[in-house]
Amino acid sequence: MDRAISLGKPMLRVSVAPHILQKITTSNLMYNTLIALVPALLAGIYFFGFAALKLALICMVTAVACEAGMQGLTGRKLAIKNGSGLLLGLLFALICSPEIPWWTAVAGTAIAVILGREIYGGLGNNPFNPVLVGWAVARISWSDHMTTWIMPEPLFGLEPGGYIEYPPLEVIRVDGLEALVDLPWLDLFIGNVPGTIGTVSVAAVLIGGIYLLARRIITWHVPVSFLASAWLFGLIFWLIDPETYANPTIYILSGWMVLGAFFLATDKGTVPVTGPGMIIFGIGCGLITMIIRYWGGFVDGVAFAILLMNATTPLLDRVRPRVYGRVKEVA
Amino acid sequence: MGPKASFRGVSFPPQKVSNPAIEDAPLPQRVVLPLGEDRDRVCQPVVEVGEQVKTGQLVGQSADFLLAPVHSSISGRVTDIRPWFDQKGGEVLSVIVESDGIDSWQEELRSDERFLERATVQILADLKASGVVEIGPPAMPLHAKFAQPERPKEFLFLVGIPRAKMVDTVIINGIDAEPGMATKKAILQKNSSEILAGIKIIQKLLGSARVVLAVGSNGSLNSPLTSELAGLGVRVFQGKDKYPLGLNPILIKCVTGREIPLPDGSEQDIGVAVVDAVTLVHLVEAVRDRKPQVEKVVSVSGAGMSAVKNFKVRLGTVISDLVEQLEVLKGEPVKVIAGGAMTGDALFSADIPVTKETDALVFQTAGEAKSFSPDACINCGMCVRHCPAKLLPNELSKYCEFSMFEEARDEYLLHCIECGICAYVCPEKRPMLHLMRYGKRELSLV
Ligand code: SF4
Ligand code: SF4
Repeated sequence: MDRAISLGKPMLRVSVAPHILQKITTSNLMYNTLIALVPALLAGIYFFGFAALKLALICMVTAVACEAGMQGLTGRKLAIKNGSGLLLGLLFALICSPEIPWWTAVAGTAIAVILGREIYGGLGNNPFNPVLVGWAVARISWSDHMTTWIMPEPLFGLEPGGYIEYPPLEVIRVDGLEALVDLPWLDLFIGNVPGTIGTVSVAAVLIGGIYLLARRIITWHVPVSFLASAWLFGLIFWLIDPETYANPTIYILSGWMVLGAFFLATDKGTVPVTGPGMIIFGIGCGLITMIIRYWGGFVDGVAFAILLMNATTPLLDRVRPRVYGRVKEVA
Repeated sequence: MGPKASFRGVSFPPQKVSNPAIEDAPLPQRVVLPLGEDRDRVCQPVVEVGEQVKTGQLVGQSADFLLAPVHSSISGRVTDIRPWFDQKGGEVLSVIVESDGIDSWQEELRSDERFLERATVQILADLKASGVVEIGPPAMPLHAKFAQPERPKEFLFLVGIPRAKMVDTVIINGIDAEPGMATKKAILQKNSSEILAGIKIIQKLLGSARVVLAVGSNGSLNSPLTSELAGLGVRVFQGKDKYPLGLNPILIKCVTGREIPLPDGSEQDIGVAVVDAVTLVHLVEAVRDRKPQVEKVVSVSGAGMSAVKNFKVRLGTVISDLVEQLEVLKGEPVKVIAGGAMTGDALFSADIPVTKETDALVFQTAGEAKSFSPDACINCGMCVRHCPAKLLPNELSKYCEFSMFEEARDEYLLHCIECGICAYVCPEKRPMLHLMRYGKRELSLV
């Protein structure tokens, strides 16, 4: 059959539909999340001085270097420009005490990038939240370094909050509830207490979280179900025995709760993708966090709660709405 | 009348449509008239090379109920009958007519205002003779759509869906589904009388069926039309501007609450027939004027055009000729898309004719054309959140990527309605729709 058309003309590009693509790219997502973390970092610098900034820079540089190294070693396309390494490094710094030695930060970040993510094939293929993997290893290996706290010393304006000497959750654990009686909730909310760089200021983290929600980088499912289930669980125990268990709001305002709900439990790839799956995931995180906080071996349960729930993600992805056009199956 | 169901999807920025709503494209020098949809199912040519033909003269027909007859869309001389590429890349036997520039019609059109008094059989016969095709998908001659199903489908019988349902709801689809399409809104504004006449014909053909006119949100109906519609007992469905409302499976769900049983079902199985608003006009022309379908309203957009323009184009006009004659493109296109920007086919050559199924042409310059990337899925869940069929496109795409087609089928790959949203939203720019279609094709070969 002779050719119907001569193909010598300027060649046209062919591709499969669709022919328009949304502007959002992976780097958009990552950089937007980085932007959302800026308030938390600024709060950390405000309360803990430039040690916080230094730590953040160390972690970010380490993360990107490890990422590039691993991608080179495994012969994959260099993808450091998408910002996921920077994000990982920054998140790691934000959940550390400003006092940790530099080598702990470097080792933790390197473990997070290499063993937490790159070894599985990179972004999106890792089963567990890499930041938390790195943190868990560091926390268990260098327990003393990871739990040295300093008092907040606001750079300007505020008086240093001097009511407690350790993060509030440790105070509850060690000294009991009475020690918290005088602590103004406002200090807890804006972060004028000892703690990790990025989590002390609930206000700053919330600003970032709302930004993420508004830009539709994350959905409401995980943060809302996480916080709500933790609060309700706390409420039940507080109502039963207010002598032993603190007001649930204190639990929400202290520790990693809010950062965990908005940033760590929404990490792309390690959380379920269906609506019902995300809600169950959030509830699981909330409950396990509170259980660890009440009765567990660690003071703050957020990290281990999220890691545990990460393991259920493949299962939770089976919980999904009915697909279009599915006819009843006959027995 | 509001929607009976909600659905997931995306909203596109509103597109500008230029005035006048529909312009006539100049008469083409030559037309290429494919005799069928693919190589194996074509009409018999009834003209010979060298023969003089008039506009509207029959050039090919078939005994196959599902093949529409083909008419010449210009007057002139048949210069060749040979295979020509179609938009999917196959070669289809086509009749090539060189214009004599006169455009003299086969028979003078004789409008018969008493068309509604004709017998139903006569109306169907007129419809069949005129070769009007419903663009679908699936594309089929309009008369086939209105004929009631003959054979029960076994699998539906098994699962308790009443077999061979009569069509009880006809939906006139007046929603321009995707960016680059603007014909339906224009038709609704300009051709009110045809819309009404078409609805009357459908009501006559299908007796008791209720008719619903589905329109987009921005009030495309003028008020006299609205009141006349109410008089005919036609309900107007106001949808919101969210893709893929204009695609049949989702439209049916929103209007009637019913779902097409997938993977093998069709809209007839649930007693629904969807008719494109533009096709409705051709239906009226076929019945009232006994005019064969020789034209098609096509939206042209892209390549630097600031607004979508609608043209009435003779069937068989070769796209490259059309572009030359229209002179509307501002830039040199590197991509020519037959259909809308979301589901259309990118053509490998601009020498492909406009057919009854072409409702839009989108041109893209090098700057506008997008490309996909081979990167791995990051499991962000964006596609899952937007898939109107409520699938897990992320998993399906991975299964298809790694040739795990059985697993993909168990995860309902065959329920994908090929809307393209997963690829549109994917931040990694994975070729999602390609992977879906690839998987479906592999499964169909088993
Ligand atoms: S999987 Fe199919 S139905 Fe779902 S978004 Fe992708 S193309 Fe559309
Ligand atoms: S949108 Fe793309 S990257 Fe995100 S889950 Fe779907 S396929 Fe993966």
